[in-house]
Amino acid sequence: MEPRTKGRGGAGIFPGLLGPARPQGRGQTHVLRGAAVVAAGFLPRAQEAVVDMTAPMAELSPLANTHNLVVEFDPPEGADWGAVSAGLRQGMLALAAHLADAALDAPPDHEETLPPLRAGGRGKDGLPRVGAITNLQTQGTFKETFVYGRSFTAALPTLLGPGELDDGAVVSGQFGHPSLKNPTYLYQNHPVVAALLDRHGTDLDFAGVVISPEPVDQVGKELVSAHAARLCADAGFDAALVTKEGGGNADADVALKMDRLEELGIAAVGLFAEMAGPDGTAPSIVVPPNRATAMVSTGNYDEKVKLAQTERALGGDRVVLVDQPATDPMELPTAAFYGALSPLGWGCLTCKETVPS
Amino acid sequence: MTRVVHYLNQFFTGVGGEDAASTPPARTDGAVGPGRKLQALLGDDFEVVATVSCGDDYAAGEPEAAREILALVKEAKPDVVVIGPAFSSGRYGLACGRLAAAATQAGLAVVAAMHQDNPGLAEAAGAPVVRSGEAAREMGPSLETLAAAVKKLSAGEDLTEAEGRLGKPPRRNRVADQNAARRAVALVLARLGGDKEATEVPLPDFDKVTPAPPVEDLSEVTVALVSEGAVVPADNPDKLESARATRWAHYSIEGRDSLPAGEFISVHGGFSTVAANEDPQRILPLDVARQLESEGAIGRLHHEYLVTAGNGTSVGNAKRFGTEWVADLRKSGVRAAILTAT
Repeated sequence: MEPRTKGRGGAGIFPGLLGPARPQGRGQTHVLRGAAVVAAGFLPRAQEAVVDMTAPMAELSPLANTHNLVVEFDPPEGADWGAVSAGLRQGMLALAAHLADAALDAPPDHEETLPPLRAGGRGKDGLPRVGAITNLQTQGTFKETFVYGRSFTAALPTLLGPGELDDGAVVSGQFGHPSLKNPTYLYQNHPVVAALLDRHGTDLDFAGVVISPEPVDQVGKELVSAHAARLCADAGFDAALVTKEGGGNADADVALKMDRLEELGIAAVGLFAEMAGPDGTAPSIVVPPNRATAMVSTGNYDEKVKLAQTERALGGDRVVLVDQPATDPMELPTAAFYGALSPLGWGCLTCKETVPS
Repeated sequence: MTRVVHYLNQFFTGVGGEDAASTPPARTDGAVGPGRKLQALLGDDFEVVATVSCGDDYAAGEPEAAREILALVKEAKPDVVVIGPAFSSGRYGLACGRLAAAATQAGLAVVAAMHQDNPGLAEAAGAPVVRSGEAAREMGPSLETLAAAVKKLSAGEDLTEAEGRLGKPPRRNRVADQNAARRAVALVLARLGGDKEATEVPLPDFDKVTPAPPVEDLSEVTVALVSEGAVVPADNPDKLESARATRWAHYSIEGRDSLPAGEFISVHGGFSTVAANEDPQRILPLDVARQLESEGAIGRLHHEYLVTAGNGTSVGNAKRFGTEWVADLRKSGVRAAILTAT
């Protein structure tokens, strides 16, 4: 997560976990830009994630360009893992707020004003109203996402304003899928929201963020997709960018929403990581849309990357996936690199067709 | 004179059908079966000097098969290696794809032929494969495509879609100028502007699988348990991956009536394994299968189960596992399988 505070002691940052569970996105938020708080260690269902702080993968990880405070943790023997995860989350958030408190008295290098959420109505100056649908992974303990401190697993889609994301209303409790993980840091700095706000008032009118769970069953996926599309229609969206978290089955959550949106006359674009096999020739998308066809690629999950020898590794001595010391030269799939295929669109990776040799 | 070595399966070299599917690789001099038509199409500048043949189960199921076949091919000193056509036959296609990949790696000029949906296409790893019909009734036109490709290849030219070359161009990772979020905004504005075609990812084509006819009398046949639920002995002796599996394993259930908690675990990375580990039979129903066996509802339960982890598996690997499982099970006389998925 990124260190942020709304005043001494946090004062409402990370609502529902650190601050009181009340709607946020108001007032001022102080950001310690360029820093991140990172936990490294074992949790059940966590999949090994590699952050390469030097070439070649450095530019592909959101954590390679920040100063990272890495917290290693050792739970007491016999501790309940659910409690370990909850305690770790609470501690990390408190640490992030505490670090940001240290910067409260410094003059800001940069100030930004977010537009208020304005649901419904037509776009200002005839501009199209474009928003985001952000699917949050919800597969039970260690693979879930918290909204205002509550697990979002059984929820129906809801509409958030950009300030709520900035204030940490969405916090990750999901430790799988290293390259396809949406860390709290990227909910605080939502790349699709940032890209939309960049063009707000010139090419489009920002319409808000619909968050949706990613149910594990087909009926649930159909239900939340229909609801999310209806909510977008009610909120006056002309277009939506749909993102996911996780691997294969989460493709269905994007594809179904794209199709439901297009049925309601709302233009849809989906962000997908490709699973095209190590040689890039297999079908890329596990569940493609039927009606909507506009997709952006965040890169191929299966392509191999070579890492050079490195001096120092944090968080563990070995990379279990290849059974080698963590400082050794090694070859890993792109899938193993933290945030490398960011489903929220943080990264610059994409896929291009190349002529066979 | 260009020396051609031709690879065919046991059926097309006349060794036999499914009864001969476990025949190991062998070489004969000259053209055999469809190779004679190939020779006629190639004309006098080419000579099919040898034909290498192997049984489908052996070729798809034995780990060393591609190497053994390649060794026989190389002994005949080919200028060009011609493989198939394998049509849509899965095991034959795997053998052809693997041989094409191995021969290319060994620096030989090679061209294989198979139907576009054949799982062997993924095994060719970019080696040239041209289109064939779906089944042997299309042997004539398939050989014409193959022969034309052989001529082009030995003239030192590249094979392209015009020669029936199969396989999409590989998609490789590249770093774009803008991040995916910004590109998505540009794409949605283009779509709102009326461009309905623009996309970075073309819609994939999925092949359709024709189900096998139902087994008429289960009480007569051997049934296997197979699973993508990653149930393995507790020490995971083959180090089955929890995600993005590249391999599968098989474990004996000979003399076992149950899979006790603690002795077997699921290493699947795609779901919480707590309930699975309390009773591994929730994933692999050995207890019920034994009961059906003792009641005579099924003839016999196969003495081992086949297993992988179905979590983030590439389509190419999944197709390969399926084809290898079929070869392995057929070899053991299994006629039906129950696949449990998570």
